[in-house]
Amino acid sequence: MREKETTLYLGPQHPGITGNMMVKLKVAGDTVVKAETHVGYLHRAFEKLMEQRTWMQSFPIVCRICVPEPDPNEENLARAVEEIEGREVPERAKYIRVMALELSRLAAYMLWMGGQSGGLGLYTAPQWSVGDRDYILDLFEELTGGRIYHMYIWAGGVRRDLPDGFKERVLKTMDYFESRLPEYDKLIFDNAIFKKRTIGIGVIDKEKALEWGVVGPPLRGCGIKHDVRIDEPYEIYDKLEFEVPTVEGGDIYARAMVRRREMEQSISMIRQVLDKMPGGPVYNKVPNPLNWYVPKGDAYVKTESARGEFGYYAVSDGSLKPRRVHVRGPAYVHGVSLLERILVGANISDVSPIMNSLGVCPPEIER
Amino acid sequence: MEELKIEKEIAEEISKTFHSAEVTVKREKRVVVKLRDDLITPFLSYAKNNMNFIHLAHISCVDWLEDNKFELIYSLLNYDNKVMILAKTYIDRENPEFVSHTNYWDQAETYEREMREMYGINFKGNKRLTEFILEDWQGIPPMRRDFDTVKFSQDTFYNRPGRENAQDVRTTVTKKSGEEIPEIGKDYTVRNL
Repeated sequence: MREKETTLYLGPQHPGITGNMMVKLKVAGDTVVKAETHVGYLHRAFEKLMEQRTWMQSFPIVCRICVPEPDPNEENLARAVEEIEGREVPERAKYIRVMALELSRLAAYMLWMGGQSGGLGLYTAPQWSVGDRDYILDLFEELTGGRIYHMYIWAGGVRRDLPDGFKERVLKTMDYFESRLPEYDKLIFDNAIFKKRTIGIGVIDKEKALEWGVVGPPLRGCGIKHDVRIDEPYEIYDKLEFEVPTVEGGDIYARAMVRRREMEQSISMIRQVLDKMPGGPVYNKVPNPLNWYVPKGDAYVKTESARGEFGYYAVSDGSLKPRRVHVRGPAYVHGVSLLERILVGANISDVSPIMNSLGVCPPEIER
Repeated sequence: MEELKIEKEIAEEISKTFHSAEVTVKREKRVVVKLRDDLITPFLSYAKNNMNFIHLAHISCVDWLEDNKFELIYSLLNYDNKVMILAKTYIDRENPEFVSHTNYWDQAETYEREMREMYGINFKGNKRLTEFILEDWQGIPPMRRDFDTVKFSQDTFYNRPGRENAQDVRTTVTKKSGEEIPEIGKDYTVRNL
């Protein structure tokens, strides 16, 4: 007998939703028959705002596009301006940028761990991981003055040099993180309930993953090795030694294990960066920020963020302000066309773990 | 320039197939292709099926109000050689219409929905050009350059009673503290920028 279909509005206010966004589900019994993403609760017109501000005034805007991980935005915009202008960046600044990017990746994974396991009922995990994430936020506060939004990376370099003794404090935090990983394994990744709820759930078809525009950990969770840091090395990633972990399966557990292994890589990368970091200035002389004419041209730059390829397409018409800045967040594809596709056939209780595992972040969709 | 070998090969193949295309190797891993608007679909199809550019990274639109044109940019990535193509074309700004590419890529649907809403471009063939980010929007598409944001905010929102317009922070602060704006700062008040 065919079950009666009902409409279920999941979100925008729902603990399982990764931000202010709604998924309209058609369900038959417990099974999702059709899913539709509805966004618009967070639209703040960042791209339009940037067209009305100078290039440098855009930096405090872009970091707000992603709350868990704002640094790829800043770094992308900075690199887009540098590419259009042909501006050189001091070597030390590049190292510091990579350190900031990797620290923010770790912080983003910590937050993801809380969301992913909290949504499955492992309520201890969010307490631990959000607490541990705070140690990184402390470091960011010391380095940049801001805990969440840093506005630290800008065209031409970074705003200021490392404080005294910062290197030691970062290394100490990394040692602590490394010692915590086995505990997280016991709590989350080896947990029987976690495995039962994630293995074989939310599977992305490996054959179709590339065509569907899947990027980042969900793509590597399909066993496909693709990472912007290796494919198109930016900053100093070509000077670091790291692996790109891939896991077969394409399900939530595979994506979780990719992130788990990447955390080890990030810790190792931060250590390498601190070890190899040269001396020298951290920014080159730049024009007056309010009188900074960027020459005519365009650039598409991309970064590997914690959720995948983050791209900025910036166009300058030679004036003080950007002509157009298009932000291409990984969630734009993951949260709409991909999510709507793989939610079909899923159980209602698996909807939020699937969303979490794809790294859906609504501010990126509506910018 | 041995390192740009792959990029040059790709550029050559494109110019051989599409004679009217203007192909430039911009830098390592970036090839820019400027095409006539009716050649975009054949080009995307050729790039996807014959040259293995299977990843559609994004579709962007730039409003060139002065030239009365919209510029559409399709970014494609080849996962084998990691080269990215930016395919660009211009379409008319009056009654803008373009072909939908949802049958090539799922994710094109979302980009086209957004562009219809933000720029008013009608993508023929896209079956889901429904409301995306904005709700009940009646005015001109807001990402167009001639959309007056100041007028919109003045018409939509109002200052709280007893408050004056304090958008120009520099002027407001100096007025409150009874100081003059220094000569150098006058050029940089929000209104002058």
